[in-house]
Amino acid sequence: MLEAHVVRKRRTFTVDVRLNLVDGSKVALFGASGEGKSTVLSCIAGIEPPDGGEISFRGRKFFPPPMPLHERAVGYLTQQDLLFPHLSVEQNVRFGLSREQQQFERDWIDELRARLDLGPVWRARARQISGGQARRVAIARMLARRPPLVLLDEPFTGLDYPTILELVDDLITWQAALGFTLIAVDHRPEILRRLCPRAIAIERGVVVQEGTWEELSASPASAALARLLTAR
Amino acid sequence: MRIGRSIERIAMAAFAIALIYPLAGLLVPVGRWDWNGSMPGATADSVRISIVLTTLALVVDVIIGTPVAWWMARRHGPDRIVYDAILLLQVLMPPIALGILLSLSFGPTTAIGAWLMKIGVPTSNSATAFVATQVYASIGYYVVAARAALAAVPRQLEQTAGLLGLPPWRVFWRVTFPLARLGIAAAVSLAWVRALGEFGAVVITAYYPSGMPVQMWVNLQDTGLPAVMPLLIIFLLTALPLPWLIHLMAQNRAARA
Repeated sequence: MLEAHVVRKRRTFTVDVRLNLVDGSKVALFGASGEGKSTVLSCIAGIEPPDGGEISFRGRKFFPPPMPLHERAVGYLTQQDLLFPHLSVEQNVRFGLSREQQQFERDWIDELRARLDLGPVWRARARQISGGQARRVAIARMLARRPPLVLLDEPFTGLDYPTILELVDDLITWQAALGFTLIAVDHRPEILRRLCPRAIAIERGVVVQEGTWEELSASPASAALARLLTAR
Repeated sequence: MRIGRSIERIAMAAFAIALIYPLAGLLVPVGRWDWNGSMPGATADSVRISIVLTTLALVVDVIIGTPVAWWMARRHGPDRIVYDAILLLQVLMPPIALGILLSLSFGPTTAIGAWLMKIGVPTSNSATAFVATQVYASIGYYVVAARAALAAVPRQLEQTAGLLGLPPWRVFWRVTFPLARLGIAAAVSLAWVRALGEFGAVVITAYYPSGMPVQMWVNLQDTGLPAVMPLLIIFLLTALPLPWLIHLMAQNRAARA
């Protein structure tokens, strides 16, 4: 269970969002750019400290006090690939695994490599591969540790549409297989609809509506939300 | 346009020639080289003393300076500004003033000087004084250069490594250090040159044991240039090639990045 109450002051408003998600659920944070969606994910991941509230996952308190990043067991993917440029693709994917885990998870790593088509660049330096390949490596690296909580903050930005659909479908398959709790942020409703059955709409840092996509579309809480839901 | 470029090139070439012109001094005849100076073996001893004790000083610089540089590269706020100011003060301190201040502040009349004497650590004319003075003279340069190298490593990469389960010290060894290593090597070489070449402060705190700079000065006073030239050649060969190469590599890497 993820129980998060994130309070974070921004320049013009305060983000104040509560999330209660059962293990294995998938939910989208939806809203226009700059409404505080990424802030919520960033606070749960521990990248930025909340100004208040409480965050706990499976009974472990993330905040307060802030739990060190390495103890959180969170998969966090943003639009920046953030691969380690001095390492190969293979070393990047295996980065979060101990020697023993690397032996134990050999089949899992092979599956990630095959499904994400990383074979041709497996030995290449991370700085030498294309943007699309880098995004696949970042996904493989995140999933290699089988995180119980995955946070996706617009990780498909800059990719072509067929690649996005392919990656989204892969993530859906892996989410079903691994059972991780998923929170996804994107400004494109069609991607989020495919990835998550439920959505939480955020405007100026607060939740304005919550439900299935059909419920949101049937009676959107605001004109802005209605526009976003029909945007292509 | 073409004339302008030619002028630029000529000006740069003239500047470079002017910079390296002092090396022509090595070719000036000064008489038969004297390897001993006024005291047989002093030249060889000074080389040994300089290399061994400067290496020790460098180890201290790296052990103390690296965590300090990392802290300063990652923290922002009023306390860091204070530490920045103190570091700058130390870097800008004229060597002779540093030597005099070290002699006074660690002298037997001060509490710390008296205590060090009591536990058998002489604070002047000793290997300890030599190393301590070199550390004071070089650690600021090391911290400033290492901090720049560490600050250039994106914070997000370290955070990513943390989220992949690595505790901070392993993040440093697997991400921060490998990405900053050339810059840190440049910082080490800068500190090496600074410590090895230190004269103004060392001549006051540790005239004995004499390292190369002090021995060169002694040889110059006692015997003249023929006794200085061999030591000068060894000094230049010890001080310059490795740092020079490392800095060139670091600059080349920065230009390619």
